[in-house]
Amino acid sequence: MKIKFIFALAAAATATAAIAGPVEDQIKVRQSAYAFMGWNAGKIKSQVDDHPETFNKEQVLAAANAIAAIANSGLGSLYGPGTDKGVGWKPSHLKPEFFDRQEEAREIATAFNQEANKLAEAAETGDIDAIKEQFGKVGKACKSCHDNFRIRDK
Amino acid sequence: MSLNEKEPEVIQVWDLPLRLFHWLLVFGVLGAYVTADYGGRLIDWHGRFGALVLGLLVFRVIWGFTGTLHARFASFVPTPARIVSYLNGDWRGQGHTPIGAVAVFALLGALLFLAFTGLFANDDIAFQGPWLHLVAKPVSDSISGWHGKAFGILKVLILLHLAAIGFYRLFRKRNLVKPMLTGNKSSSGGSLISDSDAVLQRFLIAIAISGAVTWIVYSGVPGHLFSAPVDAPAPAAAW
Repeated sequence: MKIKFIFALAAAATATAAIAGPVEDQIKVRQSAYAFMGWNAGKIKSQVDDHPETFNKEQVLAAANAIAAIANSGLGSLYGPGTDKGVGWKPSHLKPEFFDRQEEAREIATAFNQEANKLAEAAETGDIDAIKEQFGKVGKACKSCHDNFRIRDK
Repeated sequence: MSLNEKEPEVIQVWDLPLRLFHWLLVFGVLGAYVTADYGGRLIDWHGRFGALVLGLLVFRVIWGFTGTLHARFASFVPTPARIVSYLNGDWRGQGHTPIGAVAVFALLGALLFLAFTGLFANDDIAFQGPWLHLVAKPVSDSISGWHGKAFGILKVLILLHLAAIGFYRLFRKRNLVKPMLTGNKSSSGGSLISDSDAVLQRFLIAIAISGAVTWIVYSGVPGHLFSAPVDAPAPAAAW
């Protein structure tokens, strides 16, 4: 029985590794994902908030779709065991307690995905005010994860 | 002042610009406080309240040299001599006491630090201080950290400020809030706070300068002189 269990564990570990790669790779990929989402979020903010005169529906929609696509890509599989300690492009800011609060993390991540999808829907309409409003909600979803699971800079 | 014949003597201590500064600062700091950590689009309001606070501080610094007697820094800088005289019970001033003056400078210093660091701060979501592009991202991250820590210090200073007001109220039977509203207090002596009738003129000039400085800073203009604004809309790539 014990041996079976160890096998199962090893199989699971291999499976995780096969999906997401070693710790450093998982961290690198997720840091890249957030940087890329940040780049797209910056374009949206610039065009709907700071310089609304430059609003370009196609560009904002492309950016919102990119964010939604990343949000829906299964980022959770990049948070394997041990990925709070490793170094990707830079040291991870993940709080160790992330692994003890998986259920909460899942809820926060799901809420973020929903807001990101709604942002893409809002962008589809081209209504600046609606996009602005929904962009704020996406920001709040980002923040709820940062507040819970991201180590603040010293 | 014949209406106040029953009072021993009523003198003006805080001029109107100083009182406006004080209560607008309360409003600005409270506004910045409630919008700081809520997230979403309120963070933009945090930046606006920060700009208000910055403008008020610039005004206060100007008024510290050009205002009426008790608004001028020189009249209440807590020199060792003044502090010793106060502790010996020999101080007879009407404005900030030497110990109160320590609190005033500490509060102004903490607020200036917060307003200044806020210019370079980011929240890793969608907030960018107007001078963010003058520093590298990791530097901005550190500055954002200091910004948060400095608020902890400001909170302590504000609590001390309120505790001192409560102390005077309860144990010295003196109301410090009323003079900050009316400008006046009863006193057995004191001098006129202004010897010049050009106060309004100086007030308007101080407002104009602090308003202009704040607008320029908030628009990020000095930064844009040195580097291209990072939030400028990117040219659409053909692919």
